[in-house]
Amino acid sequence: MARFLAGRLVALIFILLALTLAVFVIDAAVPTDPVAANLGAGASQTLIRAARHALGYDQPIYIQYYRFLGRILHGDLGTSLRTHNSVAADLAQFAPATVELALASMILISGLALLLGLWSASGATGATAIRFVLVSLASAPTFFFAIVLVLVFYSWLGLLPASGRTTAGTATGFVMTHDLWRGDLVGWLDGLRHILLPAVVVALGPAVAIGRVLRGSLVDAMAQDHIKTARSKGISDSAVLLRHALRNALTPVLAMVGLQLGLVLTGVIVVETVFAWPGLGLYTSEALVNSDFPAVIGVTLVLGAVYVVINAAVDVLQVVADPRLRDRP
Amino acid sequence: MSAVEAVSPPVAEIRDLRVSFRSAEGQVQSLRGVSLDIAPGEIIALVGESGSGKTLLGQSILGLAARLPGVEIAGSVWVAGVDMLGGEVRRRRWVQRHLLGAVFQDPLTSLNPTTKIGRQLTERGITPTRALENLRDAGVPQPALRARQFPHELSGGLRQRTAIAMALGTAPITAGAGCDGEPIGVALIGTGETPQLIIADEPTTALDVSVQAQIVLLFDRLRREHGCAVFFVTHDLGVAASIADRIVVLYAGRVCEVGPARDVLARPSHWYTRALLAARISVNTPTTVPIRAIPGAPPNPAALPPGCPFAPRCVNAQELCDVSMPDLAPRAAGDGGGSVACFYPQPLSAAVAPPAGDDVLEPAEAVAPHAPPLGMALELASVTKRFTVSGGRFGIGGRMVHAVSDVSLGIESGGALALVGESGCGKTTTLRVACGLIAPDSGTVHWGANAGRPQLVFQDAGSSLTPWMTVGALIEEQLVRRGIARKELRAAMLDLLARVGLDARAAGARARNLSGGQRQRAAIARALAAEPRLLICDEPVSALDASLAIRILELLQTLRRDFGVALMVVTHDLGVARRVAETIAVMYRGQIVEQGPVETVFAAPRHPYTEGLLAAIPTTEPGRLSPKLAGEPPSPIGIVQGCAFAPRCPYARPRCTDETPILRDLGDGRRSACHFAEELGNRL
Repeated sequence: MARFLAGRLVALIFILLALTLAVFVIDAAVPTDPVAANLGAGASQTLIRAARHALGYDQPIYIQYYRFLGRILHGDLGTSLRTHNSVAADLAQFAPATVELALASMILISGLALLLGLWSASGATGATAIRFVLVSLASAPTFFFAIVLVLVFYSWLGLLPASGRTTAGTATGFVMTHDLWRGDLVGWLDGLRHILLPAVVVALGPAVAIGRVLRGSLVDAMAQDHIKTARSKGISDSAVLLRHALRNALTPVLAMVGLQLGLVLTGVIVVETVFAWPGLGLYTSEALVNSDFPAVIGVTLVLGAVYVVINAAVDVLQVVADPRLRDRP
Repeated sequence: MSAVEAVSPPVAEIRDLRVSFRSAEGQVQSLRGVSLDIAPGEIIALVGESGSGKTLLGQSILGLAARLPGVEIAGSVWVAGVDMLGGEVRRRRWVQRHLLGAVFQDPLTSLNPTTKIGRQLTERGITPTRALENLRDAGVPQPALRARQFPHELSGGLRQRTAIAMALGTAPITAGAGCDGEPIGVALIGTGETPQLIIADEPTTALDVSVQAQIVLLFDRLRREHGCAVFFVTHDLGVAASIADRIVVLYAGRVCEVGPARDVLARPSHWYTRALLAARISVNTPTTVPIRAIPGAPPNPAALPPGCPFAPRCVNAQELCDVSMPDLAPRAAGDGGGSVACFYPQPLSAAVAPPAGDDVLEPAEAVAPHAPPLGMALELASVTKRFTVSGGRFGIGGRMVHAVSDVSLGIESGGALALVGESGCGKTTTLRVACGLIAPDSGTVHWGANAGRPQLVFQDAGSSLTPWMTVGALIEEQLVRRGIARKELRAAMLDLLARVGLDARAAGARARNLSGGQRQRAAIARALAAEPRLLICDEPVSALDASLAIRILELLQTLRRDFGVALMVVTHDLGVARRVAETIAVMYRGQIVEQGPVETVFAAPRHPYTEGLLAAIPTTEPGRLSPKLAGEPPSPIGIVQGCAFAPRCPYARPRCTDETPILRDLGDGRRSACHFAEELGNRL
């Protein structure tokens, strides 16, 4: 096991290095000259050359990459062309909203996927109906589903707000987490009302995808011989399902979770735009529209790193769930 | 047995049990009016061919039948006074937790792979201490260590012992507390410290013979020590004979004969029981005695005949048998008790005349070519193959498996060789090297002059045939490769099918539409399409019932006789080896330990391992089983100093562990890798 973890850690470092290299190459390949762009159109050749030297752009490419890596490790992701703040500071400002949205989505994903998977695998009544409803909802394009939800819950029923994180208009920071920490239930419920619609939109697709894999792999697990052994011991149906079948069904589910969380990361960009959610997604779409390359590069690095770490965690969890994978060379 | 019944009520009572399933073909009747009592402490063996309903009967007693999809049940099953088919689920579960144990066929799949053994053992609420006692009781060494391990870390034999330990771990019954406070059959249920009844469904079928013998004896010991009854489902009459008090013979969902094991086996009353005994590919049957397959096939359970289900295959069927169903009636006086469901049972005094029919398996010598051999069909010279297993990366630091070490074999054109040994002995690697699927690390493989690659026939013919292609298309694919003209393809394909006993209908069928025997025939036809001079068969009949197995073996012998195809049969079944080949090679831990003419080797083995293997095979003489092979097949990982068999050998001496024996010629046409081969010969 220790050997496996060490191996995964080394692999993780290499993948992260590859990610930075990819981002560096894209950055270098972009046709706009960041130095010229920074100095303005009227700058003289001498001035540009001096600035290039000062910023290290006249150095060999591997030195540039080395310095790029060094900057990343020090948290220096460059300066946004749009906000003129450091990208790192911008990310720190916008990330909390996205983290809260992603967390809320993940809670919904787990709940919905377990509901869908366990309910339909247990063959209980209503399983087919709930499966039909969830799958149809997940088949709709995200933006369409988002608009329908806004129409129903905001325009018609007036139950839930359609944009922002709080009624007061607070945009940054861990709003709900902070409310929970202070014990401010009213504030937290206000945050909950705001986060509900965007979180449902983000969660539905991944939840249904994961739920279907869970169902299929639970059905397979329930057909295994050891389930017959467990039943012959006089164990209740729920214990058979939860204690014996679920853990044996996890390997493909975890693989799907890894894939789907990647989609969640890109999903938030669309959803944040629709719901005016002031997070990384909104920041990225603004940056894309304004050709703010340092910002786009910064977001790519951060989301890429999160994705890589999540999938490494999934690998480890798979091995934790199924001890047979531990002895595989 | 009647004395036992008088003392205490039966543990389980089955009354007129009828189980059927809805299917596309109509109602499939799997059990049709089975009645049976299981007395406390009794071992009952339930025997029958696949599809007879024997597994379903076991599941019904366990209370698992009611939840099978599409099932319809009539009749009743009572365990300790609790209805196991209907009634309250709580009461059924109470019986399952406190009174019953279950052991299933495949120990690889019947234990939960993701839960530690200790946790699985204590699931019914027993203490860890008792779980360890149960492990020890079931013959698991180092129980404390095993309890902390996962099932995949154990060998097959240990896993089955663990499953038995789990069956022993019934929840204790606290004083006064019956099921829902209702004291049920208190006299019977005892303390719950051990199960009252263990249902064992083919518990030894997936195991090696040496381990099978140990497990069979373990059940016998547990019964004696704990007094638990055992309901032992098996297809092997030999296994049944070696432990059962009573034998129940099931055919097409009905009990056709039941009685004390000794009497049923020695004087079978039902013609089916007799046919089953005659169809047994026994290692003890000299090759001069013919083995007869039961003609025909079991009836389709969706369209059963109105009369006796065995009548269409019975040599003694009369008019009455076709129209009326016989009920169980006492066996003739002097036949030792029991009942038989036959209008015209085999009379006790009748001479056991061989039944008519052509399905007679001739000994291998009879089909051996008498003309001078045309050279060798296969020659392996000093073949060695190693693999690296777990731990190592990039081929460094891993431990080596010496799958095959210095193996030399030869098969003459038209000859037949059987390669036998237990799991992990290297026989499959030898086979793969022999047909060129993998290259040996050292040594050479020759297929004879102008001979193509040998063709392979696998154990599981179903999965070796591409599922979406018709049998005809699969064979034609091979023929095209051989360069047969398009116009002649179909004729050539049908000719091949005819050779293996299949007709044109099989050409249009896909693997899933064929029966097990037909699939194996189709696989053989495809192999023949390449016109091989050598057919290599990997456990060709071990997935088939005895009657079907006999017919496949017959087919292989016909192919030898009529077309001069040489055979290499890899098998764990010494009975099959004895029937199918003139030469036998016994492998142990990657090496051939004994080789020679089949009859000579079987009459007087010159290696203790061969002797042990032969002694481990159960015969139909009750209570004869006396295994000499202790322990389990060895791990092939690493290198052993001296003789690899020494740790399990009853005759091992200091020299055996000091000096590695080499395979040497004994002068009478055979070779042995035992330092004391000659002594072994004199002693016997």
